[in-house]
Amino acid sequence: MSFISYIAETAVAPEASNDLFSALGIDWRLLVLQIVAFLILVFLLGKFVYPWLMKQVDERQTAIEAAAKAAVEAQASAAESHERVAELLAEARTQAAQIVDTAKLEASQMVSVSEERARSTAEKIAAEAKTTVEKSIEIAKRELHDETLELIALATEKVIHTKLDKKTDAALIASALKESK
Amino acid sequence: MVRLSRRAIAKYATDQITSGADTKKLVLQLAAYLVETRRTGELSLIIRDIQFYLSEAGSVSGVITTATALTAETKSAIEQYIKKQTGAKTVALDSFIDPSIIGGVKVSIPDRELDATVSRSLTILKTRFKKARN
Repeated sequence: MSFISYIAETAVAPEASNDLFSALGIDWRLLVLQIVAFLILVFLLGKFVYPWLMKQVDERQTAIEAAAKAAVEAQASAAESHERVAELLAEARTQAAQIVDTAKLEASQMVSVSEERARSTAEKIAAEAKTTVEKSIEIAKRELHDETLELIALATEKVIHTKLDKKTDAALIASALKESK
Repeated sequence: MVRLSRRAIAKYATDQITSGADTKKLVLQLAAYLVETRRTGELSLIIRDIQFYLSEAGSVSGVITTATALTAETKSAIEQYIKKQTGAKTVALDSFIDPSIIGGVKVSIPDRELDATVSRSLTILKTRFKKARN
């Protein structure tokens, strides 16, 4: 007889066993069977399922811890990056300010140099113009002087022409010969 | 025809003049020679050389330029002046009248010139004034 048949027979004749379990409505065979099945189940679970399950849990926990650690590191890195960005921004602002100051200074110097050149050029042009005017005045004066001389000579010629007669000319020649001796 | 130097021609002509040769014939000979040798362009230089050699021989010839006609007295004074300056025995002068010189006299003899004209005096005056101004 098989175990299953035995259980079935005992189930169809509950009045045969009149003990406490029967009074409570519990079939002790079925209970034993259930206990045995439970133990087998516990054994099987402990043998095959729990180790795998714990391994999965441990792995999961390790992964979570690693992720948390990575998150912390990422947060730290982010904070460091933020600080670095802030430093870079501050440095960039400083450099930009220096560049602007340098540019302003150079622009100011260029303006000064340009003003100086313009002033120098203007003075040079004015000096050249003054020299040109002075030269023109000097030339005009010289021309006036020469023309005056020519006029005086011409007038002298006219006067001498009218005043110089033969007698005077002879005296002039005699005087010239005498002086030449 | 033999090509003579200018000085040789002048020397020959001077010798002929001083020896009392016929000057008209001498002039014709000289002109013919210059035409034949195609040297008429040298005539003024030859005449100047002849005048130079003549002055060395004591016979000075020159040119007088005046504004008015010279009196005999003035001409004589000029000849005396030339004799004294050059030591010449005889002086032969050609007179020219040039009103542009205004007054005074200009005497040109070989290697020498006396310019005592009024126009020259005025020119000197103008030049000196111009130089003084500059």
